[in-house]
Amino acid sequence: MKEFIAIFKNELVKTMKRPRSFIGFAIISFVCMVLQAAFYQDGKELLSMVTSQFEQVFSVQGNVLNGNLICFIILQTLIVQMPLLVAFVTGDTISGEAASGTLRFLLTRPASRTKILLAKWLSGLLYTLILLAILGFFALIVSRWIFGEGDLVALNSDGLTIIRAHEINWRWAAAFFIAFLSLSVVATYAVMLSTMMDNSITPIVTVMVTIIVFTIIGLFDMPSFDLIKPFLFTTHMISWRSLFEDPIPWNVIIQSCSILAIHIMLFLGIGIYYFKRKDIQS
Amino acid sequence: MQAAITLENVSKKFNGNPAVDKLSFEVKQGDIYGFLGPNGSGKSTTLRMIMSLIKPDEGSIHLFGESLASNRSSIMRKIGCIIEKPDFYGYLSALENLKLFARANLLQLNEKDYTNLLAQVGLSGRGKDKVKTYSHGMKQRLGLAQVLIHDPELIILDEPNTGLDPQGIIDLRELLWSLNVEQGKTILFSSHILSEVQEICNRMIIIHHGKTVVQGSVEELLSTENLQVSMEVSNPEICKQQLQQSRWQAFLQSEDEHRFSFGMAKTEIPLLIEYLTHHKVFIERIDYKNQLEDYFLKITKGS
Amino acid sequence: MRKLLFVILILLAQHAMAVDDSKLLIREINRKFALVADYNANVDMKFDIPGVKMNSMKGKIFFKKPDRFRIRTKGIYFMPKQNPMQQIGSMLLDTNSYTSIISGYETLDGRECAVVNIIPTGNQSELILGKFWIDKKNPLIMKTQITTRNNGTIETQNVYGSMAKYALPEKITIVVEMKRFKMSKMMTADLNKKSAPKKTENQTEKGRISMTMSNYKINTKFSDAEFTAE
Repeated sequence: MKEFIAIFKNELVKTMKRPRSFIGFAIISFVCMVLQAAFYQDGKELLSMVTSQFEQVFSVQGNVLNGNLICFIILQTLIVQMPLLVAFVTGDTISGEAASGTLRFLLTRPASRTKILLAKWLSGLLYTLILLAILGFFALIVSRWIFGEGDLVALNSDGLTIIRAHEINWRWAAAFFIAFLSLSVVATYAVMLSTMMDNSITPIVTVMVTIIVFTIIGLFDMPSFDLIKPFLFTTHMISWRSLFEDPIPWNVIIQSCSILAIHIMLFLGIGIYYFKRKDIQS
Repeated sequence: MQAAITLENVSKKFNGNPAVDKLSFEVKQGDIYGFLGPNGSGKSTTLRMIMSLIKPDEGSIHLFGESLASNRSSIMRKIGCIIEKPDFYGYLSALENLKLFARANLLQLNEKDYTNLLAQVGLSGRGKDKVKTYSHGMKQRLGLAQVLIHDPELIILDEPNTGLDPQGIIDLRELLWSLNVEQGKTILFSSHILSEVQEICNRMIIIHHGKTVVQGSVEELLSTENLQVSMEVSNPEICKQQLQQSRWQAFLQSEDEHRFSFGMAKTEIPLLIEYLTHHKVFIERIDYKNQLEDYFLKITKGS
Repeated sequence: MRKLLFVILILLAQHAMAVDDSKLLIREINRKFALVADYNANVDMKFDIPGVKMNSMKGKIFFKKPDRFRIRTKGIYFMPKQNPMQQIGSMLLDTNSYTSIISGYETLDGRECAVVNIIPTGNQSELILGKFWIDKKNPLIMKTQITTRNNGTIETQNVYGSMAKYALPEKITIVVEMKRFKMSKMMTADLNKKSAPKKTENQTEKGRISMTMSNYKINTKFSDAEFTAE
């Protein structure tokens, strides 16, 4: 255990001192601020695109454009970008070190390959958590400070759900937990690919391509795609949105979380299996 | 005493092509071994298998009497190595890199330990510089610091003097000698600079096509061979005359104005010099071609 | 016999008055409205809008003559653009702006109601047609159906309680015809949702908002500040 903690500490030092780690933090902060500025400037017009369907009949009263809605929009906007940022850091945990030669040093120390991979995986998850914390700070805390609090108008393709302000905080906490679980799948997938490749770019590109393709399949409202959607992890990555439905489909959420957890275990298992048998020729 | 390294019938194939083929050798404790072989001979694969970077398909590797397959962790605590070239985290300073390695070895060192270590490899005052600003030679020195950080019993170095300046090569030589003589460390040392191997090592292993061609004491292996001795004299006529009247004529291979070439054992050289100077031959220069180089070429071509 | 004939005539006259005189019914309602200069009450709102899920919410309603109306609540809610609670009173008060006619009779919740049609006299009016179901015995608006140029048809159903004497309902249900809310998945990015079965385009559904009032306070002369946004 002592050995594991030591190499885990090493991985944290490396992750937190790598310039590329901060690129992710900077991008998240920047994107949040840009979206907040855009909503501050043109939010009402953008919102009328949504409410125009009602406007002939109803007027929507109350502060719709509040911090909770901004956070909801930011979170779903970043559904594509966040995994890419996670993959950007976790996708070269092994392959990057293989390419730079430092993997030889790591693997000639007493710690086993399984421990090394687990330490790297955990530090990747911690990085993901920090990335999400930064997102949470900007998307929720700062947005509430700028736009105020209030009920959330959650946008779904089959309708709107209005979540009352007093029952929203625990939903956000649960949503960020599911988002973390989702991004952990991406991080683990990236780590798994990283064990299989000897350059730092290919795993990152592979993760990006996988997410883009799966997302496109998920976006198309075609019944034939419905057959394969349950098998795509991107389908379940968005299950945090289900927390903003009424009533909350707990069975769907639990099922999605289980599928995500299975993905994590599967990817991690494959990664460890492959890494333990890998010949380091670089 | 148990051997530091024992390889028995170790084989490894990559995509069906044998890189190492039933390789067996032994590295005794307390010696400095030169590990030689032409490019593609399986040298690097062998070192990686010893360091558990590559898993052998067949055979067994034992270090200090323990099986590498079952006691990897405890074995690795006893080994320091540079495989291929020393690579570091460029975005970290030398000191930070060393701290990572210390932590990976579960060592608790203080700042003074790091300062001493850096001084030992000639990097005093450069510890806080980012490694990406280091030259290749400096990285080699830092690589040595990393090797020595946990005071290993066995040191495995793959081409350690690549990129070192002449002073660096001399420093490395002296460091290895002192580690071997004063601390009794076993060193396995591969290099393309054969004269350096000859200079530093007391034993050597030559492999070719993934098989051991020869192993033994450098002295023993090389003493049976003839040296290519070249001598320049200021009075060639006298020299020629004196040689014809002596047993040394049998060793003479060619002559060209002031230059005389002989084939002889190393032990004969001082006797020849003594004979000629006694007979008023003025020797201006004497040198001999790298003996190991010839031996190496002969052995590897022959095999 | 004469006496009997007289009684019958009186009853018939009364009946004719009750049945045929829409103006009388409206006047009676306006008389009740006239008793109220302002009111406020607690309100419990429930929403049943196609494509919108939202919990009920509590708030407070404020009204001042002629048509100042506000619901104060913390949170988001939907209201018809032409709020019947705000407009019906003032619509009926201006008797010169419309002509009324009884188009028939219907029984609602056991009450016999006259169906009074309100037809605006001017061409510029936003109102196209107003239909009011008015209890004949105790003139109260039980149901309305207001058709306007810009906002389609809005229906209300009223239930009265202790404030019936002021023509203020205890419960009002507003029903509007609307198209189901739907957004592109590209916009909502809810990849976890299965494709919805395709519905016929332009299919309209009914949206309902129920407001239950309690703790009415009449003519308290509350401050105008209640109508200004915070």
